[in-house]
Amino acid sequence: MNPEYLLARSKNPEILEKGECGGAVSSIFQYLLDKEIVDGVLTLVRGEDVYDGIPSLIKNSEDIRETCGSLHCAPTIFGDLISKYLTEMKLAVAVKPCDAMAINELEKRNQLDREKIYEIGLNCGGTVMPITARKMIDMFYKVDPDDVVKEEIDKGKFIIELKDGSHKAVEIDELEEKGYGRRENCQRCDLMIPRNADIACGNWGAEPGWTFIEINTEKGRELVENTKKEGYIEVKTPSEKSLTMRNKIEEVMIKLAKKFQDKYLEENYPSPEKWDEYWNRCIKCYACRDVCPVCYCKECALDKECYVKEDQVPPDPLTFQGVKLSHMSFSCINCGQCEDVCPMEIPLAVIYQRMQKKYKNKTGYTAGISEELPPLYSPEKE
Amino acid sequence: MSEPKIVGFCCNWCSYGGADTAGTARMQYPPGVRVIRVMCSGRINPEMILKAFKEGADGVFVGGCHIGDCHYDSGNYKWRRRAKFIEYLLPEFGIDKDRFKFEWISASEGEKFQKTMTEFYNHIKEIGPLKRSN
Repeated sequence: MNPEYLLARSKNPEILEKGECGGAVSSIFQYLLDKEIVDGVLTLVRGEDVYDGIPSLIKNSEDIRETCGSLHCAPTIFGDLISKYLTEMKLAVAVKPCDAMAINELEKRNQLDREKIYEIGLNCGGTVMPITARKMIDMFYKVDPDDVVKEEIDKGKFIIELKDGSHKAVEIDELEEKGYGRRENCQRCDLMIPRNADIACGNWGAEPGWTFIEINTEKGRELVENTKKEGYIEVKTPSEKSLTMRNKIEEVMIKLAKKFQDKYLEENYPSPEKWDEYWNRCIKCYACRDVCPVCYCKECALDKECYVKEDQVPPDPLTFQGVKLSHMSFSCINCGQCEDVCPMEIPLAVIYQRMQKKYKNKTGYTAGISEELPPLYSPEKE
Repeated sequence: MSEPKIVGFCCNWCSYGGADTAGTARMQYPPGVRVIRVMCSGRINPEMILKAFKEGADGVFVGGCHIGDCHYDSGNYKWRRRAKFIEYLLPEFGIDKDRFKFEWISASEGEKFQKTMTEFYNHIKEIGPLKRSN
């Protein structure tokens, strides 16, 4: 369907004030819960501080208020939470582009029922590791990380709000040059607007106090229309200027991402000797396998003695990482979880993304976006 | 150098038949080639190729039926897609993709089997044994 654009904001005064840019997303969630269209909303809830976000299932419309506001320092992923625990439920999920990609890959593998899910996409410019965030706030902002009450990414800056209400901002470019800032896989990510979700919401190009919504599916269009009809949100058509601005932001971000892809996947890509060094660090904890949102087999080749010997540490990279790559890399959505959880800091995400890029260049298959299964699963004679 | 080790996976219906034809016609091919019979090239997955290299093969060959002749209709199409993928994967582990070869050989093509094996063997001998740090 043709994309449709609109600006929306909540009609609930409390949400309007508390929510991010007009609180349209919160109001859509409330509508879905109030009318019992979904049994629950899966979203992030702030934990102890701004560096902590906990994936939570919210069943009470009142509790949606607690989820307002962004949490850039909690790099989580929702896809496998649904396929593992919530397949029976009618759900609404707040998805980053990578969450939507994970859901797309799992859906193609019949691991969840897309019909049961409303995907409310949130534009995403990247996430920051909590530890990195604390370090950089201490180093670049010269404030106690525990004094931060809110954080935001806007116009290329990472902005923090302190207890006393003051704001401090530092250019993300500057942070990333020094090795801080967004996670590396986020720097390389070129999908900022989740067009693979039902709707994509964000503040790019929006007027202050409004959410810019791009409608991607028929289901999304109906949802926004009904939410409006029931009086949860008000909408208006965005101006030409809004649209151009949004496109411009996206263009700049994609260009930057391509630059980082060249940097990390080509120029600074580890040499074979360096990889040997990395693989030699492996303690075979299987965390990378277990955390991968797309990997789903119940019986895993990596548990077989013929590929991975029980008493061999580090494992032979060819039949440990190699087999894992041969199963998952063409479907890698570059969520970076494998790299995040690796206790030995092996930069796994680069090899996976590089493989998926190679595969994409040869076959045209883009993990998380293409609607059909990867060609490797195809029964076709081609 | 020592004798190169080559693992050759051959499909039961065509390439293995081709090897048989070569054998009954007394066509010589290098002794470093160890043939493993599989029912179909579509049965072979990247794991098996990686495992062969892990166990010390210097080269891995896979033979299947000609496209359109698969005994199971489409097995060799599936294999071809996997083979291409393996070619992208091997260099990531420092293995030259020339060490991996696949070819379509029918049961009557004893000569093609002999020729393919000899060429592959000579090529592997030329580039030397696979060196892996692990």
